[in-house]
Amino acid sequence: MKLTVDERWDLIDKIAKQTVKYGKYRHTLKDAIAEITVKPLTGIPIAIAVLYGFWSFFGAFAGFFTDGFLVKLFDNHWLPWLQEVFPGKGGWVYYILVGDPMADNCFEAFGMLTSGLFVAIGVVLPAIVAFYLFLIILEDSGYLPRLAVLVDTVLHKIGLHGFAVVPMILSLGCNVPAVAATRTLETRKQRFMMATLLAIFIPCGAQLGIMLEVIPGYVGFVMIYLLTGFFIFGFILNKLIPGKSPEILLDVPPYHMPIARNVRRKLWVRVRSFFTVAIPFVLLGVVIVNIMYLTGFLDWLANLLEPILCGWFGVPKETVGPLIAAFLRKDLAVAQLSAIEMSTYQLVTSVILVSLYFPCVATFAMLIKEGREGGWKGVAQYLFGSLAALIAVVFLWGGLVHLIWIILGVA
Amino acid sequence: MGWIGSPHMDYLGGGIMDNEVKFMIGRIYFAIFGLVVLSIGILEILLSLTGRSFEWGIMEMSGEFLLWRGLILFFAGAFYLPSIKNFTDIHQLAKVVMASVMIWIIAGVKIFSMILESIPGEEGWLNTFEGFLESYSAPYIPSLFLLPFSLVVLYYIRLSGEMLRGGRR
Repeated sequence: MKLTVDERWDLIDKIAKQTVKYGKYRHTLKDAIAEITVKPLTGIPIAIAVLYGFWSFFGAFAGFFTDGFLVKLFDNHWLPWLQEVFPGKGGWVYYILVGDPMADNCFEAFGMLTSGLFVAIGVVLPAIVAFYLFLIILEDSGYLPRLAVLVDTVLHKIGLHGFAVVPMILSLGCNVPAVAATRTLETRKQRFMMATLLAIFIPCGAQLGIMLEVIPGYVGFVMIYLLTGFFIFGFILNKLIPGKSPEILLDVPPYHMPIARNVRRKLWVRVRSFFTVAIPFVLLGVVIVNIMYLTGFLDWLANLLEPILCGWFGVPKETVGPLIAAFLRKDLAVAQLSAIEMSTYQLVTSVILVSLYFPCVATFAMLIKEGREGGWKGVAQYLFGSLAALIAVVFLWGGLVHLIWIILGVA
Repeated sequence: MGWIGSPHMDYLGGGIMDNEVKFMIGRIYFAIFGLVVLSIGILEILLSLTGRSFEWGIMEMSGEFLLWRGLILFFAGAFYLPSIKNFTDIHQLAKVVMASVMIWIIAGVKIFSMILESIPGEEGWLNTFEGFLESYSAPYIPSLFLLPFSLVVLYYIRLSGEMLRGGRR
């Protein structure tokens, strides 16, 4: 049956009469709340409160499992048991797997089965669960798109738009899905900028968890320093990189209560990927650094890089080990830093360096994957572009923090 | 944009009370409450900036997130106060609701962390009974005292819902 144009319109009218209700729409309280969360004057204070809640929940939840139970489990039971039953005390295999036989805590033992497992399961896992749980609730409640609208003006200054906040926040969990999430951005310029900036400046949830253990009083400073760098270098990159930064129209869903089953499912998917992607890298990282230490390669490299590390960045040459480990896992690198003798300010600088320094191998692989969109040329552009930005950032932003300590008279 | 066209009659506190009167009471209540919240916020900000702490009875203003808590309470107070101008307007009520939510966030995460801290023991796996009770002992942050007073907003949410539907429950 073929309908004429008039018949089609008549049919549309009939359907509309049966399905559409006409009347004056009255704003509900939910609508009014939705409005005030996107207006800067009211939305920013609310965002501050939400982020405070996020951070406090993160600290309380991770602290409960790590300090309340897992530290005791690893230090009082797992480590002494391993030290007692593992054969070949003092040998290479013992050192690589169990670490220092005299250590009385897993942070300092530095074996694959001691520090490696403790960092991955004892410290990072609770932090990751806490982070993703809160993030999923924000996502599913409809708050995250509103945050995107709120930060749109700020992100426009660096050639991005509000939706870039999604990879930014995801990056606080793990850089790998965050780099993948840059695909939602419109142009190649925006995708490259975002992937580079978050790989350099945004510490992942695992690293944040370890930072809370190692430098609890300075995490705020480190975050502000890194975020300032994010915007300054974002502004510079926006000027240097050719390409467009178009406007977008963002669909903001209404607020609704997250469904427990969806939250559970999403949480499981994300935590499972942490188990499969992150834990093997942590364990491998410990093994590689231990082998480098035992063969003397680490000492040789530390001596070679001493002028740069001590002179430019003001950190001890021993930080070279954690910097190598940072390529595998940044959380592991921060944990290693805590075992090196240095002042608090050197420790803070080292943590900043670990964040700025080369992205972890999983993120690096993701950058290559994203670059493939433009063929080999695209891969080369992504890699060399990111590396050039990274080298400039490490030397400028990493050196600046040393300069700040010198000016304050603490370095 | 007031939306009380014709006030409905309802019961509050045992007596017959006009909805307009109820909203007038709410207006006065949140004006006073907003002033208190704003003052505490300002005090917490000043204390954190000067690096001092303040203890009054079982209430204490100190800790590493004092500045943030102060800022949030300051903004919550700043949300409460202008909303009294046209309290019956749904948009103004939304500000009161969000101001209360901001207090609930601070108090909520504090209660959450108190509960979590009370479970594990210093040496053993679980806390002793004395240690458990001690975790909940004073001093408390101001938001915990503000929490019950901010819950009054729930009554007005219900009331506004009823009025929007145009009838009594």
